[in-house]
Amino acid sequence: MNALLRILGLPACFLAMIPGMAPVVRALSSSVGQKLLMAASGLSLVGFLVVHLAGNLQLYAGEDVFNAYAAKLHSLGPILGIAEVGLFGMFALHIGLAVSTAAMNRTARGSAYAMKQTKQGLFVLPAGGASNWMMVTGILIFIFLVSHILDMKLKKGFGVDYSAALDASGEATNSFQAVKAVLQHPAHSVLYIVCIIALGIHLSHGIRSALQTFGLHHRNWNFIFRWSGFLLAWAIAGGFISVVVWAMAAKNS
Amino acid sequence: MFRVASDTLNSRVPAGPLEQKWDKHRFNLKLVNPANKRKYSVIVVGTGLAGGSAAASLGELGYSVKAFCFQDSPRRAHSIAAQGGINAAKNYPNDGDSIWRLFYDTIKGGDYRAREANVYRLAQVANNIIDQCVAQGVPFAREYGGTLANRSFGGAQLSRTFYCRGQTGQQLLLGAYQALMRQVSTGRVKMFARREMLELIVSNGAARGIVVRNLENGKLEVHTADAVVLCTGGYGNVYYLSTNAKGCNVTASWRCHRRGAYFANPCYTQIHPTCIPVSGDYQSKLTLMSESLRNDGRVWVPKNKGDHRAPGQIPDEERDYYLERRYPSFGNLAPRDISSRAAKERTDAGYGVGESGLAVFLDFRDAIARDGEDVVRKKYGNLFHMYEKITAENPYKVPMRIYPAVHYTMGGLWVDYNLMSNLPGLYVLGEANFSDHGANRLGASALMQGLSDGYFVIPYTIGDYLAGAKHGKLAEDAPECRAALQDAEARITKLLSVNGRRTVDSFHRELGLLMWDYCGMARTKSGLEATIPRIRALREEFWTNVRVPGESGTLNQSLEKAGRVADFMEFAELLAVDALHRNESCGGHFREEYQTEDGEAARDDENYSYVAAWEFQGAGNEPVLHREPLVFENVKPSTRSYK
Amino acid sequence: MSSDTLNLTLRVWRQAGPDKPGGFCDYQLDGVSTHMSFLEMLDVLNEKLIAAGDEPVAFDHDCREGICGMCSLMINGQAHGPDRGTTTCQLHMRRFASGETITIEPWRATPFPVVRDLVVNRSAFDRIIQSGGFVSVNTGNAPDGNSVPVPGNRQEVAMDAAACIGCGACVAACKNASAMLFVSAKVSQLSILPQGQPERSARVLGMVAQMDKEGFGSCTNTSECEAACPAEVSVSHIARLNREYMKALVFADR
Repeated sequence: MNALLRILGLPACFLAMIPGMAPVVRALSSSVGQKLLMAASGLSLVGFLVVHLAGNLQLYAGEDVFNAYAAKLHSLGPILGIAEVGLFGMFALHIGLAVSTAAMNRTARGSAYAMKQTKQGLFVLPAGGASNWMMVTGILIFIFLVSHILDMKLKKGFGVDYSAALDASGEATNSFQAVKAVLQHPAHSVLYIVCIIALGIHLSHGIRSALQTFGLHHRNWNFIFRWSGFLLAWAIAGGFISVVVWAMAAKNS
Repeated sequence: MFRVASDTLNSRVPAGPLEQKWDKHRFNLKLVNPANKRKYSVIVVGTGLAGGSAAASLGELGYSVKAFCFQDSPRRAHSIAAQGGINAAKNYPNDGDSIWRLFYDTIKGGDYRAREANVYRLAQVANNIIDQCVAQGVPFAREYGGTLANRSFGGAQLSRTFYCRGQTGQQLLLGAYQALMRQVSTGRVKMFARREMLELIVSNGAARGIVVRNLENGKLEVHTADAVVLCTGGYGNVYYLSTNAKGCNVTASWRCHRRGAYFANPCYTQIHPTCIPVSGDYQSKLTLMSESLRNDGRVWVPKNKGDHRAPGQIPDEERDYYLERRYPSFGNLAPRDISSRAAKERTDAGYGVGESGLAVFLDFRDAIARDGEDVVRKKYGNLFHMYEKITAENPYKVPMRIYPAVHYTMGGLWVDYNLMSNLPGLYVLGEANFSDHGANRLGASALMQGLSDGYFVIPYTIGDYLAGAKHGKLAEDAPECRAALQDAEARITKLLSVNGRRTVDSFHRELGLLMWDYCGMARTKSGLEATIPRIRALREEFWTNVRVPGESGTLNQSLEKAGRVADFMEFAELLAVDALHRNESCGGHFREEYQTEDGEAARDDENYSYVAAWEFQGAGNEPVLHREPLVFENVKPSTRSYK
Repeated sequence: MSSDTLNLTLRVWRQAGPDKPGGFCDYQLDGVSTHMSFLEMLDVLNEKLIAAGDEPVAFDHDCREGICGMCSLMINGQAHGPDRGTTTCQLHMRRFASGETITIEPWRATPFPVVRDLVVNRSAFDRIIQSGGFVSVNTGNAPDGNSVPVPGNRQEVAMDAAACIGCGACVAACKNASAMLFVSAKVSQLSILPQGQPERSARVLGMVAQMDKEGFGSCTNTSECEAACPAEVSVSHIARLNREYMKALVFADR
């Protein structure tokens, strides 16, 4: 456990060597600091998901609109590259912190209880229950991420027939058709739906938790914080699932 | 039964007008140069309000302090359980309070058995205590505008009590604890938790150290210093059932007494009127409901014997609001000893309520009708909650059932005006000493005394002793240290080797019942005379038939209890002797032979206006009585009247 | 009316010392009165064990009225048992049913090592307070209590936080063994009150650093601590600690 923590701490060690960075790194590597970074990276990933979903929903507008959107995105060139590097950075930070805090937490408990029950009522489970599944759902999301990059970006989805998306030069440039090809593959559609449900669970705790970590807690507003986080989480998940369902329905019709 | 010494004890109260005594005395006390303070070491035993505040303040001054407590953290001392509040004559409510009035109320409340000069000093520094605690971040109740709030309390006709909901003791203790932790972080105080003091080390007649047992691993440790400050609380657990914490004990005081310190006025015990009644013979302790409840609750019993109707169905004209009837001007706010005895009088006469008949009602019906449930909840919510938890009854709907229980002990080791016992270098603070409350303590005064002793008295008076003490360092393996260590070891070995058939708790329970029946709220000559031999017999049985399982080299809670109960067994006899010798009724000490026609305590100022300080002569041997006459230059003792 | 006595099976963690192996022992205890508190039930068990020549179960307790914070116990997997806002010493046996098996474990957290049986060492909490949980004001330095007004409602919030009894139930109940509720209660109390302002930044940084050093876990905002807290300290104080920490990071002078 300690060795793992040391490896995960290496980037922080290197960062601390930059003159002037040491105090910042030290402050942010405390348990509270790590949670703040966790919340910041998590919320920025939520921001990415919202943008991504907005793009995906253009599938409903038809092949031309969607492909035009995809083409525009690709035409951004270096800007897109920078954004992607930033995105991967956020993912790496979020995952790295998740593993490091999980290791820390496991060490803190020491030996496990023979019996452990919650004292919270069922009404808090929308958020409180999800918190017990953050690691599991996080792993599912990671699996999805890998599969999704293979499927959509590299067009190397396992068992997917990209023939409808090919252009004259034999490259799969027709994004609309590529999406449909992936989502109409039964194994992929099941994996996507399962993983997106995991995403919904993950976010239903994650968003509210991030707000609490940033200190947003007030008797008058807690209701809104709690439920807006919950609703946003399932709005995102629902949006993505609708795309999968749409693609499956298009195949059968 | 006892012998009387011919000497009179010197209280070292300075001469001069009452108002100037403390100021002048402080000027006359010797000082220790700031640079030299760290060369002096002080041991503080106990970390409640007195010990915590003393250790922190002495650390701040620069002394090298070692602090000890038997709990796992200094924050757990039983001061934490004080609910109601702390008095100070700030006169913020503009209702006519003054230092003089607080002094007068306390002297009168103590039934003229306390030292004037000590009580006046207490009233003087009370204001500083409030300021100090506010500065530490103690969240005292505030008015909406931000100023400090006050409430009234038993035994006073004005509002001078500062409070933090029903958790005043907790907040004051945490304030002292935090101050202490700050000193620990600077290294000036070394904290030793889970250590129980088993012996006092006396060298050349002066207190120079202690032997403690590390309760986690059983190791005995010797600690030496230039002075020892004992802040180990009261002895209420001699009654087994009391509102004290389970761990409260007389051992530290008793060990000092055995080494020569005089024990003063042990028969002054306070029975608190508002506790939750006993429910079964497994009961391990009694729970206090703050006296502040009597601000709004009305105490009553049915006018007819054996009236078993539900309380709500008994109409007003068939209720006997006996406190209001007997004490019209103070009513439900009569002092504790008087309220307790009035409850006993009613239940003894057969008017008690509840299954056992040993309870009276404390009714909030009228307060709820007048102010609404919300207002009552805001004032007493946590107490109502606690009551409901223990009894499964909702006090908003049915009246509480209450009964008196042992709560506080005014007696303790004898100390002079400087809070030093007759053993040089042994200081005794807080409930462990006898000094400020006389024969009865008023509500919200215990916190005041503990903090006064620790924050504002000992820091000055200990310097006077240390500046004059010319002894060198006492090595931890000096002969007197080794002897004390061997004594402690021998006792532990003996306790473990009896290997009889009865548990420690069963002895404690039996002793407690004996004390409660014959040495409790009301005492008689014949009862006490019969009790003393029974205590001796029980003590003998204890040493031949107790079973203490386990060994000494580990955490062994049975062994801890056994040591404490062994000392209670010796102490109980002294308490009974003191009660027997004092042929009068005063405050918490009520001898049935000495009462007025209407059942009030009848004092005998001519013969008993003195402090009885007992000298130990060996367990079972007749103790020697030393007397300190009480001189009243400023208030004339009169019959206490709360009518 | 339900029966007044219970017959219980107790599964109790027994461990002879800090470095000794531990395990569960089962005890049958019959005729337990429903009016007993949980600790009185354990007293009865111990009397029985001593009479039978066994060693009694060691457990921490002192005031037995819910304020000293000394009692602990994980009862059927819940800190201080099933009731909310309750310490083990205030828990009464009427809460249990006859025939039930009750599992009793010590607090489990690496910073709270077991001393014996159900007794753990909580001195980590003292060291956290030593690292800043106070106002540095020497005795005698205080101005008049009314010289700085504290609005009644602010004081109430400070008192809510100050009500913490330091029992460690938050750590015990948290799935990460985090001490955030304990630490935040003190940070929050003193950051609200004007008396705590001078050391506000140093306090939060110092206490969080010590909390980490002791080896407590991190906060996952599940609010299990709040549900387990006998003094009902709210997680809103954790949010305030987070705000204080961010503020101290950005604005603290040193």
